[in-house]
Amino acid sequence: MPRWGMVIDLEKCTGCQACTAACQMENCRLPGEMWQDVLFYSEGEYPSGKLTWLPRPCMHCENPSCVAVCPTGAAYKAENGAVLIDWERCIGCKYCMIACPYGVRFYAEEKQKTQPDIRDVFPAKGDKVWDPPYKMPEQVQDPKHGVGVQPKNVVSKCTFCYHRTSKAPTGLKDLDPNDPATRKFTPACVVTCAPGARYFGDLDNPESNVRKLIAEKRGTRLLDQTGNRPQVYYLAGEAPVIPETRSVRKPKQSPET
Amino acid sequence: MGENEFTTNRRKFLQATAVTGVAGAVGNVLTEPPQAEAAGTPAKSETKIVKNVCHQCPARCGIDVYVTDGKVHAIYGTLDHPISNGKLCPKGHFGTYILYDPDRFPGPMKRTNPKKGRNEDPKFVRISWDEALTTIAARLNALREKGEQHRFALLTGRGWGNSDAGLTDNFGKLFGTPNATLGHSSMCSDASKRAKQLMDGNYAYNSYDYRNTNYLLNFGAAFLEAYRPLNANMQAWGYMRTKAPRTKVTVVDIRVTTTGAAADHLLLVKPGTDGALALAIAHVILTEGLWDKKFVGDFGEGKNLFKAGATLDPSTFTERWTKGLIEWWNAEVKDRTPEWAAGITTIPAADIVKVAHEFGTTRPAMAIFERGPTTHTNAIYNGMSIHALNALVGSMYAVGGLANQMGVPYGALPWKVDDYIDEAAKAASARKLPRIDRVKTSEGPLWSNMIQGIPDFHMEGKPYKLDTLMFYLTNPMFSTPDCTRWERALQDIFVIETSPFPGETAMFADLIVPDHTYLERLQDTPTYPFQGFPLAGLRVPAVKPVHETKVFGDTLIEIGKRINGKMGEYYRQVGNVENVIRALAKGFEKNPGDNGVNSFDTWVEKGVWYRKPYSWRQINGEFFEWDGSDYRKPMTPEDVKKKLFMTESGKFELRSSYLERYADFVNAKLGVPKDRVGFPQWLPPNYSGKGDLFLVTPKTPIHAEGRSANIPQAISIYQPVSGGRNEMFLEMHPKAAKARHIKNGDLVRIKSDIGSITARVHLTPAARPDTIVLPFGFGHWAQGRWAKNRGENASAIIPNVSDPISGLTSNYSTLVTVEKA
Repeated sequence: MPRWGMVIDLEKCTGCQACTAACQMENCRLPGEMWQDVLFYSEGEYPSGKLTWLPRPCMHCENPSCVAVCPTGAAYKAENGAVLIDWERCIGCKYCMIACPYGVRFYAEEKQKTQPDIRDVFPAKGDKVWDPPYKMPEQVQDPKHGVGVQPKNVVSKCTFCYHRTSKAPTGLKDLDPNDPATRKFTPACVVTCAPGARYFGDLDNPESNVRKLIAEKRGTRLLDQTGNRPQVYYLAGEAPVIPETRSVRKPKQSPET
Repeated sequence: MGENEFTTNRRKFLQATAVTGVAGAVGNVLTEPPQAEAAGTPAKSETKIVKNVCHQCPARCGIDVYVTDGKVHAIYGTLDHPISNGKLCPKGHFGTYILYDPDRFPGPMKRTNPKKGRNEDPKFVRISWDEALTTIAARLNALREKGEQHRFALLTGRGWGNSDAGLTDNFGKLFGTPNATLGHSSMCSDASKRAKQLMDGNYAYNSYDYRNTNYLLNFGAAFLEAYRPLNANMQAWGYMRTKAPRTKVTVVDIRVTTTGAAADHLLLVKPGTDGALALAIAHVILTEGLWDKKFVGDFGEGKNLFKAGATLDPSTFTERWTKGLIEWWNAEVKDRTPEWAAGITTIPAADIVKVAHEFGTTRPAMAIFERGPTTHTNAIYNGMSIHALNALVGSMYAVGGLANQMGVPYGALPWKVDDYIDEAAKAASARKLPRIDRVKTSEGPLWSNMIQGIPDFHMEGKPYKLDTLMFYLTNPMFSTPDCTRWERALQDIFVIETSPFPGETAMFADLIVPDHTYLERLQDTPTYPFQGFPLAGLRVPAVKPVHETKVFGDTLIEIGKRINGKMGEYYRQVGNVENVIRALAKGFEKNPGDNGVNSFDTWVEKGVWYRKPYSWRQINGEFFEWDGSDYRKPMTPEDVKKKLFMTESGKFELRSSYLERYADFVNAKLGVPKDRVGFPQWLPPNYSGKGDLFLVTPKTPIHAEGRSANIPQAISIYQPVSGGRNEMFLEMHPKAAKARHIKNGDLVRIKSDIGSITARVHLTPAARPDTIVLPFGFGHWAQGRWAKNRGENASAIIPNVSDPISGLTSNYSTLVTVEKA
């Protein structure tokens, strides 16, 4: 069984948010429910100001704090390394949202930020939150693994596209989006990334491309001091995005605010 | 339109989508309704991939549309497509939403409230297609009987190919109006095409070999945000920035963009001064002997005689592929020192010298530009000054340089238009009336279009008043400068809108004849400039139309059939769009594509025809043609003139003979001395307004030419760099804000000479203190429930000022004041 992990090359990332959009449409997310977000930071001042960005999926930690706090066992670590939510067990208590150091868990609140509320426009008949006309086919939806349109009152999160990755044949070192044989098993954000900033492969296989990239280009993990041990690695290069590599510091107080 | 109408729509739409079948991927895709259930195939829940071409920018990315049980549920880039290569930009994924947008028009409708206004409900009622088409034909037949065909006009926006916007020329000829093909390019990028034509003879956007360039000097093209083809640009970026040697990138812009932030250098110039910067770079390249001697030529003695401020004898220099270098130096460049440019651009001289050294010493290198430097009154001279750099570093037609896009060897249409020109059409052309947009009159001899002038020209009745105006994929009522003029102009015009969406123009329409969305269309899409080799995509319907819509090409053909005389006969021969596309595909029989496409059916299957390589290349100052295996067939200067540098001299002209033909015009409009008109030169822009801040309104990567404003998922990620995730913020420097007692998050009033709008401020310390940024896209008063009343539209306060030469709008020359609202 592989232990899937992702590598994001920040020197290639253009901050376009195609990953965000692909994830939203593939996984039937509500507006603002960005499993795969891109965070932007503006530092310094004209004429030497700097804009930087950090794409942020769920880190699918080896030692996930969200799983540790879940009172019902709904949050769990799947056999292929993904951190998932069993929507049939989730009670929507949101402990996991507080425990997660990366802020990658979501709950569909009463009041949607983007109005009119799309849930009223595409209302669901049963227990589901909404019923988008372009939702993934019913037979692909999988509430035990947090895949598809969620029921009401549960937490949702990135699944590493479990409905795609879990179908991959055994023995693959990497899921390459440019290889017709492995493309359909590759997560949506990796498939669509135009500059090719994302790589997806088996972290347990020393011969995988992701392991080579982490070794060659000094892959780093976010907030490693928490002990969560993310399975998402960043190649920071000269990109001053990861706190450890930031070259521009914010002033104590942002100027003139 | 009342709210009830929409509620009904939605219910109908949900019913309709529940029963749609998968379109057959091959065969008679348009005329035979796909009957998945009836034919017993495909089996239920089988997922099918149908080829299409994205519609959210001009790039023409090939897409795979995933259809299961008659529903589209995903879109990804097509892996074996040369532009998309399996990838997409963020917009591409939202196509599924566009198909199922709950605010789409359900079918043809007519207005029943004669009053037109923002607050007037048009009271649309559903009518049949036959009634709609007959109504239009009756109006057009009446115009023909009166000999007033010119009073019918058709405005087009994002045309795609020969099966939609490509049909309008013939329609105009047969009908007898000069106004059937009025484009929107004067609010797009006409100035960059014109500037290039004046120097290298090609009225076209260039194709670019980004992957092989080692230096990209980018003037105001949002390479990673909106510059097409965005998807391919980003693919190239990932390669360029990790190859050996890494491509160095310098961005010249007026605002902090992701492109500028990701680049090696970002030079934040004063708006409209890019040309001065380019001239100073040229000055450094020449005085320091960094020009490409094999392309440009050299001094007879081989010793560099360029010295700042000193004129030269033209006979001392032997030019190869440029013309007028020494005259240009004497007239302009000798005085354009970095110190001089620093005073104009606000970029320190040392930074200019550094960039000039890098650009001049790195090969291959190229300078690109688009609307940034050219949406000013000095558009052409800014553009020419930048394009001249490509000659100096020898990048024209070189590896890692610029070339031009080749056309597609389509089959000819079997119906000869000339055989169907009847007396009414002949009489109309004999009247030799100008176009309503006054293109190619003494007012605009070099304009291609002047969409932003039409409301004024109509209201003035000069050259005449329009009677019937049809819109295709353009919403100038929202997007042109001083856009509210249209609300007055359209009062006494019969308006026909073809958009599937309830936009502003539609709210003033008398008749709605809604187009399919792109996933429902059969449509050809020859490529926009890309990498030079010819390419033509095809849209194949993924599902049966969700509503009672009709592809625009068929609407036009159906109107044509209903026109009296020979015109009707012509269109009965043509029949429908599918016949047109089948005729185009015949051309592939003799020219099979690299992917085996050689017929209509194979085109439908693959979604794209293309044939590599590009035919020509400049290598070390010599031109060669592809001989079947390499660029080895030498070209004569005559060949080069015919195929590559289509100027009077057959050279890259640093003194434009073409522009000198219009010396009197340019002198009268811009005050340039007649003997200097032909040179790339510094001409200060005329800023519009009495304000003290520049207002700029760029596109973000989410902007899909008006098609993303009603997509809630897009709205939620529209302006991430400033945290604009539900509304569009005005980016403003803290010092500029403090001087006006404005705090972060304050609602402010932005005032130009013609009006004011409000917006909420996001303090942006990295911005130029004299420039405020409000990305374009929100501020609709129609267009659907999510788009409506979300912020205010900057187009309403941008004065209608254009570059007199190219006709391009001067959008970024607007000066405004800002105060707390």
